[in-house]
Amino acid sequence: MRITFQEELEQVEAALQEEGDYVLRALRAAVNALEQADPELANEVIAFDDEIDNRYFSIQEGIQSLLARQTPVAVDLRLVLAMLHTNLHLERMGDYCVTIAKLTKLVADAEPDEGLVQAFEEMGQRAEEMIRIALGSFQRRDLDAASSLVDLDELIDRANRRAVERVLDFGADAEKREWGLRMILVSRALERIGDHAVDIGEQTAYLVTGEFREFTDASHPS
Amino acid sequence: MPAVAPIEIAQAREAPLSAAGREAVFETRGLTVSYGKALAVAGVDLSIYRNLVTAIIGPSGCGKSTYLRSLNRMNDLIPAARVEGEVLYHGQNIYADGVDPVEVRRRIGMVFQKPNPFPKSIYDNVAWGLRVLGMKDDLDGRVERALTQAALWDEVKDRLKKGAFGLSGGQQQRLCLARAIAVEPDVVLLDEPASALDPIATSKIEDLMHELKNEYTLVIVTHNMQQAARVADMTAFFTLERSESGGHGVLVEYDETPKIFTQPSDKRTEGYVTGRFG
Repeated sequence: MRITFQEELEQVEAALQEEGDYVLRALRAAVNALEQADPELANEVIAFDDEIDNRYFSIQEGIQSLLARQTPVAVDLRLVLAMLHTNLHLERMGDYCVTIAKLTKLVADAEPDEGLVQAFEEMGQRAEEMIRIALGSFQRRDLDAASSLVDLDELIDRANRRAVERVLDFGADAEKREWGLRMILVSRALERIGDHAVDIGEQTAYLVTGEFREFTDASHPS
Repeated sequence: MPAVAPIEIAQAREAPLSAAGREAVFETRGLTVSYGKALAVAGVDLSIYRNLVTAIIGPSGCGKSTYLRSLNRMNDLIPAARVEGEVLYHGQNIYADGVDPVEVRRRIGMVFQKPNPFPKSIYDNVAWGLRVLGMKDDLDGRVERALTQAALWDEVKDRLKKGAFGLSGGQQQRLCLARAIAVEPDVVLLDEPASALDPIATSKIEDLMHELKNEYTLVIVTHNMQQAARVADMTAFFTLERSESGGHGVLVEYDETPKIFTQPSDKRTEGYVTGRFG
């Protein structure tokens, strides 16, 4: 039995789940800062990204060491590769939270559109749920739950398209238009977080089945 | 606007060698070998394909060496050994009445764990089998070709008449390989050929296997799983099935090597290759 190796694998996987928890905190805080037009909270989100990055690097190092020293194969190899990708997806999600926080600071003085802010709150909740499902299905090796992320992603995608339409309706009001253009980027960031959650689901599917595939393929829509 | 041609992104990659469409050099059917009353390996159905490296892996006592030695009737040399089932070599049962084991071993050469050169010169080690088999035309040329194929020629060409024991362990093993291929066999069986060698000598043997499979069919038994992963196209995993009388070897899984090392079908294979076994 390769006890040390198994322990090291478990440690890296635990660190990955912890990184996921940090991303959830960053996302909640980023959406709250936007909703409450709170630049201080936005600053905290930006600073907090260092914590996510530190975890990202330490997981990366752990994986490097596992590959160099333990030569994982079969299910262990699939786990290591799936963690390598998932780590990057989580780090990217953290970066999108920073994007939302920076945009929040830029529009701190503008008058928000209540309907759109409410839409972002809902998108944020959906994105959080997707991250939870992505992390949970990875942890449980649950292929069905991982596959369900595709349908949830469709809901965020639709919300993103509605947000764009609403901003287009702002028309000639210059101040509102600037706010709206920045909010399109917020909407896009939330939508991308959903995409990364789907990607983590695909890593779970790879881990379970050993097959590389995308749940959906943007270049070959079904 | 002109029609846009689809961009060719998917290039034909060099496909890994697979068994599909290849000729089976060996087919063993229900192969069972016992030593006296002790069953060593039981019921092995396995096909070994031409110009591939096939690795046999598994824990100690799983019968992998016994299986290998049954492929050229080496077990005949052990008095109590009994073989049941069939070993079909190009469709011919090599255990059938009237088959000459010496002829079998000419076509199916073997290299062992410990280099075992004869106490003769380097040249005579390679030439010996050729002389025995009467392949005496162009003896020098045959010896040179065998030593070249075994990647040893440059190192020994100036001391061919010197004793083989003056060579390093790795050189001696390549000499044994040269001796095996000099008689132009069809198959070379390798029983732990690198386990007594240092990493550099090991990698030379592994490089050689990549070269040699173009001309020969290679079957290697190895304890070193990573060696199997590196050199083999196909990998067979044997394990020890315990029973009241002790236990015997069985074939668990046989597939393309990448499959065995990324997503084996059988939990026992996965347990072994990931090191969770036992």
